[in-house]
Amino acid sequence: MSTENRPEMPRAQIVYGEIIYWIAIVAAIICMIGPVIAMSSVEDNVLNPHYLFASIFDGKDAQEIWSLADGGFPGGHFYLDNFTTGDGFTQFGLALGCGCAIWGLLAAAFCYLKEKNYLYMFLAVWVVLLIFLSAIGIVKGH
Amino acid sequence: MRRLFRSPWLEVNVMLLILVLAYIGLALISFGAETPPDGMSGGAIWGWLFGFFFLSFAIALVAVVGGIGGGVLFTPFMLAFTSVDSLIVRATGLIVAMFSGLVSTGPFMRGGLANLKICIFCAAAYGIGAFSGAQGAIYVAKHLGAAGEGLVRLALGLILLTLAIYFVVGGKKIEWPEVKRVDGFTKWLKLTQPYYEVSLEKVIDYPLTRAGGVLFAIVGVGLLSGFFGLGAGWAIVPAQNLIMAVPLKVAAANSGVLLGMGDCIAVWPYLMMGAIIPLFAAPWLVGQVLGGLLGALILIRVKAGFVRYLLIGFMFFACFGLLTKGLSMLGVIPPIPIWITGVVFVSIFGSVIYVIVKYFKAEAQQEEAR
Repeated sequence: MSTENRPEMPRAQIVYGEIIYWIAIVAAIICMIGPVIAMSSVEDNVLNPHYLFASIFDGKDAQEIWSLADGGFPGGHFYLDNFTTGDGFTQFGLALGCGCAIWGLLAAAFCYLKEKNYLYMFLAVWVVLLIFLSAIGIVKGH
Repeated sequence: MRRLFRSPWLEVNVMLLILVLAYIGLALISFGAETPPDGMSGGAIWGWLFGFFFLSFAIALVAVVGGIGGGVLFTPFMLAFTSVDSLIVRATGLIVAMFSGLVSTGPFMRGGLANLKICIFCAAAYGIGAFSGAQGAIYVAKHLGAAGEGLVRLALGLILLTLAIYFVVGGKKIEWPEVKRVDGFTKWLKLTQPYYEVSLEKVIDYPLTRAGGVLFAIVGVGLLSGFFGLGAGWAIVPAQNLIMAVPLKVAAANSGVLLGMGDCIAVWPYLMMGAIIPLFAAPWLVGQVLGGLLGALILIRVKAGFVRYLLIGFMFFACFGLLTKGLSMLGVIPPIPIWITGVVFVSIFGSVIYVIVKYFKAEAQQEEAR
């Protein structure tokens, strides 16, 4: 079946799309600027980029690479204590982008709640819960 | 001219401007920097960062149009041509797979090419599968062993081969599936949502069916994805299209959105264990966002046939990888040298480009005849 009038998209769909879209763009801009900061003051990073890239292309694993940093790997949210360093700022961009579905889905769930569409509200919250459990380290990969 | 200052071109232009300035700044800083002993020179770092961005941009462009994560292209390339550790490659592969999907979410949701209800419905199922798969991976790997994993890969490869052949012969039936009967469960879910199809210049209202079937299929896809760390884009598009009768372009758009959403679950364990190195992953992310946005704008405008041919290429290439890896794990054949994979890739996508050019010529002739 087809008609000729452009249909209006549901509010939850528009809100989800816009939130994800703009967060992804902000994350990308942060990741453009981060490496410039990192190279402009190589010592002021958690990992010196010269040694970091040499280690990566020497085939070293993540544990060996992070052992170059004082005290080893500082944790996934190390940008909280190193926001002004090049790699800390870049990690913030990555974390922001990797968590954007949480904000988009919460907003979409709110729209579904207002529409009294409880099934999709519940499903959206369920996916948020899975992302949250993963972000705090309960869901583990291999 | 005015169009360049309106969304989405405004943000594309802003990003391009920042990107150019960043790479110029980076070049000025890097080439002048003193290289410490045992460290990589600033010029080489700049070269890698720029090369990664460029490659990521190209991967995102085709991945979004085909509705797959870019991992199917990224991972073999990185493992073949660099000495980077495989865990770092897999972890960065998730960034590659998810960010083109995330940024394409905006245009797809605005235009209605993607359907949020289908995406959430599938993500809930995919999450259960991926969660269980990841949790049970160590236990099952112990019992399956390399031979068991090889058999699973072989079985997946054969299923995918069958699907790819069906996509070749299915024609219009694949692009715009017909639904004869809508079951009660699918009707209750109220998943359908009409949208304006730009390539046909008309509104398409697509009925759906067998939502229960797709639920099981997506849980299965998530389970395998969690067990073996396999990408899932190549399976999500045919699952929606063949089981639930989602039109091919909508299925491709949904797949991108779903990969962005689902990989937000999968990526965090890697981020928390340090397998994602920020300065290494950054240019891949940037390339995915810019390439993914342009890919989304292309997908909205292209005809479904173009998407079908591209997807057939990806399915055959993924199928080759699964079958050869499976046979090699079973000890039937030796590991495939990377140059053979390269030749297969070039042959498949050379044929895909040839067929697409023929398709466009035929379309143009039909237009002229009208």
